This record gives sequence, C-alpha cells and structure tokens, in this order.
Amino acid sequence: MPDDDVLPFDLAGCLTRVRQSDQRAARDLVDHLYPLVIRIVRAHLPRRVQEEDLAQEIFLKMFTRLAQYQGAVPFPHWVSRIAVTTCIDHLRAQKRRPEFRWADLSENEAEVLDAVMTNADDVPANDAMAAHELVHKLLGQLKPDDQLVIRLLDLEQKTIAEISQLTGWNQSLIKVRAFRARRKLRKLFQDLQRTERS
Amino acid sequence: MNQPKPHDLWSRLTAAARSLDDDRDSSAPYGFSTRIAALAFALERRSVSLMDRFALRALSVASLVAVFSVALNYREIVALGAPAPIGVAAVVHDSEIFTYGENLAIVLDLAD
Repeated sequence: MPDDDVLPFDLAGCLTRVRQSDQRAARDLVDHLYPLVIRIVRAHLPRRVQEEDLAQEIFLKMFTRLAQYQGAVPFPHWVSRIAVTTCIDHLRAQKRRPEFRWADLSENEAEVLDAVMTNADDVPANDAMAAHELVHKLLGQLKPDDQLVIRLLDLEQKTIAEISQLTGWNQSLIKVRAFRARRKLRKLFQDLQRTERS
Repeated sequence: MNQPKPHDLWSRLTAAARSLDDDRDSSAPYGFSTRIAALAFALERRSVSLMDRFALRALSVASLVAVFSVALNYREIVALGAPAPIGVAAVVHDSEIFTYGENLAIVLDLAD
C-alpha cells in the first residue's frame, strides 16, 4: 500500500507549495478535494451541465482565488462555498424551468407519487431511486435559490447555520426562502392531487 | 380515506430520496488533477504576462507623453536655460516670482 494512503494529508503544507507554483502539490490538492467538490456538484447539478465541467470550473476558481484565502475558515469550507456559489450561478443561468406534469413522469416515479399521495406508509426502499428522481423534478420547479435551500435542508439535512456558512446568506433570508419554497411545493402537491382526482 | 398532508408528502418523499445510496465513484477521473493543475498555472502565467505587457505599454506611453510635453514647451525651457540680458534680469526675475511663485512670494512677504 502506498504511503500516501496511510499518512494524513498535509493540507497546510500542500497549500504553501501550491502558492510557490508547485504543480505536483496542485495535483495532490485537487485529488484530495475532488470527493468533496463532486458531492456538492452531484447534489446541485443543473440540467444539461456535465459534472466534470462544473468540477473543473470550481477548481479553477479555487486556484485563481487562492491568494484571497486568509485561513479564517477551514480550507474545505472555503472550497465548499466556491462550489455551492458556482452551482447556484449555473442554476440561475437556466432561465426556463421545465413544467412538471404527471404525464412526463416515468412509471416508477408515477407509482411513488401515487403511493405517497394516497397512503401514509413510507415509500418502499426499492423505490428510492424513483423518489430521488421525483424530488429532483419537483425541486426543479422552484427558484434556484429556494431550490438550493431546500436541497441543503431536506436532502442533506444541514442546519440553517451551516447553510448560512456555505452560502453566505443570513439566517433570516434562508428561513424566508425555505418557507417560500415549502409553500410552492405544497401548492404543487395540491395541484397534482387535483389532477389525479380529475 | 384521509389524504396525507402536503408537508407529510414532501417529508416522506425526501426521506425516501435520502435512503438512496450514492455508490458512484467520487475519486477524481484519470488525468483530471493534471489537467486542472496545468490550466491553473497557465492562467496564472497568462495573467502575469498580461501585467508585463501592460506595464511595458504604460512605460512607452509615459515616455511618449514626456517627449511630447518637452517638445511642446521647448521654447520656454530654452528661454529659462539661457542667460537673460543684464537689463532685463530684474524684470524676468520679478515676472518669475509673479508667475511661478506667487503664493510663495505672498508667504515670504507676510513673513517679513
């Protein structure tokens, strides 16, 4: 087993070497942070954007802004914030949101939605994939900022304080966005229930 | 039959979505870090070379402005540099004080 897998990653030393234009250190830094960045990208990936392209954009932003990093927050938090803001910029750039229609759902998604709306039991575990897709389609109906807040709150189960740290938004604004998003989702469900009944 | 409330619907749906295990590989694809490092340092070099180019351009523009201002004020520079005729010396001296050092002259006058 190589030593790299055993020794803890020396982030501070790596950053120092990157600042001295050490390409090897830059590669190590990318490899070290990739799982963190790709997790954020996958959670907030806008439509028609390749996850690798978005990850590349985030890492290039990280390197160009490296001189601005003062160490006030841990480096991975700082990079997470760049990742989240880059994702939100891409979401905002997508002006049009696809219409949510019952007819556009796959068979599994329609079954899950039907099950959720007609009985109080939990969704079967084997329908998790369909539920996941459905949640993403429903979230796609929200404004980008609201989408991000609900994803972080309800899917990633982050606290308001953590979201504030990640996005730079104040906590009241996050609460307002969450309230607005939930109201919209409630309306969406009511419309769907009406459609289903009719 | 009682319909579940929309809030319950959403929380049950998200609970189901959360239960999905993401088994996708989260390590960097082959060559990704090399490409990023190369691009990052190339960007850095480009911004440095842009600085160089702008600095040189600024230097040449400053030199041109200097030459142009010397050319424009050539007569006055020559006149200042040449010895004035004796009879005119006092007049030139006074006018110099008047034109160049009016404020200074007032201050000196007040000091006296």
